[in-house]
Amino acid sequence: MIRKASLIMVALALIAVLPFTVFAGGEQEKTVPEEVVVYASVDEANAKKILDAFTEDTGIKVAFVHLSSGPAFSRIQAEGNNPQADVWLGAPSENHILAKEEGLTLEYKSDDYENLGAQFKDPDGYWRCFYMNPMAFGVNTEALEKAGAPMPTSWADLTNPVYEGLIQAPTPQASGTAYNIIASLVTMMGEDEAFDYMADLNSNIQTYTSSGTGPSKAVAVGQCAIGIQFTPAFFQFISEGYPLEVVFPKEGVGFEAPAVSIIKGGKNTAAAKILVDWLVSKDGQDVLSEANTFFYPVNPAAQLADGMPAFESLKTVSFDVEWAGSNKERLVERWVNEVLAAK
Amino acid sequence: MKEKLQQIKLLSRDPVLLTVIIAILVSLVLFILYPLSKVIIVSVYPKGEFTVDFLAKVVTSWHLRQAFFNSLLMGVLTAVFGSLVGFIFAFTITRTNIPFKKFFNLMAIIPIISPPFIGALAIIMLFGNNGFITSTIFGLSNFKIYGIRGLLFAQIVTFFPVAYITLKGVLESISPTLEDAAMDLGGSRFKVFKRVTLPLAVPGLASAMLILFIETLADFGNPLILAGSRFPILSVQAYLEITGMYNLPKGAALAFALLIPSLTAFFIQKYWVSKKQYVTITGKPTVSSIKLVSPVVKWLLFATVSLFALVIIMIYATIMWGAFVNIWGSDNTFTLRHFYYVFGVGFEAVKDTLIIAGVSTPISGFMGMVIAFLVVRKRFPGKQFMEISSLLSFAVPGTVIGIGYILAFNDYPIMLTGTLSILLLNFIFRYIPVGIQSGIAVLRQVDPSIEEAAIDLGADSRSTFRRVTLPLMIPAFFSGLIYSFVRAMTAISAAIFLVSSKWNLMTVQIMSQVNSGRLGAAAAFSLVLVLIILIAILFIRSLISYRYGKLGGTMLKI
Repeated sequence: MIRKASLIMVALALIAVLPFTVFAGGEQEKTVPEEVVVYASVDEANAKKILDAFTEDTGIKVAFVHLSSGPAFSRIQAEGNNPQADVWLGAPSENHILAKEEGLTLEYKSDDYENLGAQFKDPDGYWRCFYMNPMAFGVNTEALEKAGAPMPTSWADLTNPVYEGLIQAPTPQASGTAYNIIASLVTMMGEDEAFDYMADLNSNIQTYTSSGTGPSKAVAVGQCAIGIQFTPAFFQFISEGYPLEVVFPKEGVGFEAPAVSIIKGGKNTAAAKILVDWLVSKDGQDVLSEANTFFYPVNPAAQLADGMPAFESLKTVSFDVEWAGSNKERLVERWVNEVLAAK
Repeated sequence: MKEKLQQIKLLSRDPVLLTVIIAILVSLVLFILYPLSKVIIVSVYPKGEFTVDFLAKVVTSWHLRQAFFNSLLMGVLTAVFGSLVGFIFAFTITRTNIPFKKFFNLMAIIPIISPPFIGALAIIMLFGNNGFITSTIFGLSNFKIYGIRGLLFAQIVTFFPVAYITLKGVLESISPTLEDAAMDLGGSRFKVFKRVTLPLAVPGLASAMLILFIETLADFGNPLILAGSRFPILSVQAYLEITGMYNLPKGAALAFALLIPSLTAFFIQKYWVSKKQYVTITGKPTVSSIKLVSPVVKWLLFATVSLFALVIIMIYATIMWGAFVNIWGSDNTFTLRHFYYVFGVGFEAVKDTLIIAGVSTPISGFMGMVIAFLVVRKRFPGKQFMEISSLLSFAVPGTVIGIGYILAFNDYPIMLTGTLSILLLNFIFRYIPVGIQSGIAVLRQVDPSIEEAAIDLGADSRSTFRRVTLPLMIPAFFSGLIYSFVRAMTAISAAIFLVSSKWNLMTVQIMSQVNSGRLGAAAAFSLVLVLIILIAILFIRSLISYRYGKLGGTMLKI
């Protein structure tokens, strides 16, 4: 009897679990005017912060679905004849270049567009970047002091033997961040010089991390004094109170800058244009620091969060995305052979 | 064939049983086999075209090949040394009369919680460049923690508790009276250990090593911090490919590569070692005078476990330090702000974790017991299939399962990503083997003669089951539950791919707190997690000993 009862319970448990698994997703899509539908490839928490601020500022409601860049692109492509969204927010610019080439996005120029630096927009007006994460040195001032080393100000400084075993950086074998370092150094110095430089630097490196955000953690706990990576994690540690300082090396740094495009044929194109303008306007850019996104603004007029070095100290280096993509395998292999093996 | 038909005929007379069997078979296919096959399919059919490009990368790329071998090496070394440490603890606690046994038992269980990243960071703060032990005490200025040395140390500390729990159960079930008898027959202590105790423990050792091997293959929390670029690890690469580069086919191919050694180990264990199972349960009291260990060896063992306990205390003291001071490692002002954060912003995750673990473990344990019951006592077509496929999820690294689930349930017809269901299903099917194993063990332990005796004494079969069989099953069922509850509360390698902003887990929160710079909050989360788990264990234990006091006693000392 009891065995039978227990069997029935299992059957019930299964029946209970199975059906509420089948439906999920597909909750938005209301045709309220003054609404805009966004596919957000920015991480969900930050997308929500930014878009909530937009609604508060303009009264335009935002319905957004979080999709990482690959799925977002294929969805926009698949919906080409009947677009369900109006704006694609986030994802690195090469995705937006592709969307432009496939004719999925709309050309739009405005005053706010004209105010942006050339490295942050498509010359034809199809996409623009709305924040950036520059590469930087994150320095643990206590650990640096303990090691008796001076504050570095340039890439050239880092090869000074005084920094031996004090620096961490990600490895390009596993991390896109690290490849950004290589590509920008090659763009700045020329390929052979860049590899000579990295081989020199290698003798000061304590370890290369698999993850692009690995160095910041070691810097925070004082395991090493200097970490090289994109800035958000450094700013986060600073806002928590860790004894970190961010330095932009004076020769210049690479950056990643997610872009935004208006999807062609969307139902709320007027609202989409307002959103895209707002994102790069001073109001929109101020939200980046007000909402603690730890993203660096692309508009020099915007306010900076605590610990962010002045806009003037940042010299960005952009490289040709297509060149970087097609040379990746070769450059990473050269890095393994010439840099990693240099020790 | 005729036999099969006969079985089906018999089944059709019992529609409830038939429904249950079909429901279980369907769900095993859907939630274990389908996601795994999806991993393989996506890695060779990424865009509807057959290609071995992604798989070939594992072979042709020096870095990935190295990562593959390092993962195997780390898996084997952790399995061997972790089981050794687990065995030393289990042996010392069950076979000697050292003082503070309860304390050492606790020390051997706590690291099972091993908060991702925070454990590794604590090790860095103790043994790293500016580490408390290496730099402050020993004055080493440039101690190299990265690579195989630091990682192996972290993995042993993290995973030996799993071996300890398994081996303690095994050693407890080997009656010390056997050893006493062998010594009375003139065997020396070492000979008795070598010829009696060790052979009896071999199956337990083998399964402990298998679990450690698979868990180590799946783990990326410790390697992400401690491996360094000269010692790449495959699960880390798979994790980074999927969460960092959104390259699903490549991530799936790497997961596929992880699947091969773990399945091999699983089948070796299943068909080779399990044939060597010895059962020594007699139901008779097993009072021993504990003579196996000489005083010298006893104090040597005591020193060894004390040393390990010291390391574990230091690691958790370091975490506690991080949780209660303003800035870990640089501002030692006492503060509770990290706990305010955990119970404020982070409390959702605490709640979610309790709901998910609380709902999934009983269902999982119950299904496991039912499958065990069906497999041991019933005959039906597909029995073998049911047994193998339900045990399979145990043999698959969490990373692979997690990747399989997002591939399988991300799209029509079953859209589950971002829901509670996907997390529940993952945990239910992941820990079914725990229920099956304890279920099978129980059904074998319950000697029919005990039931017959009850009937001879005048009980009918229903009250025999209720008063004799059920009380015997329930304690084992619950102690299986404790294990899977702890695993569900602490698992991360699969769950990391399945959480969403609506449903989050504490372990994933710990990881993302570290990523967003709140090391103190992450440490506080870790302490809360340890506390919840200890309370849960105590609660379940006292619940059973209250209800089934005498019978439950020995089975519940995890």
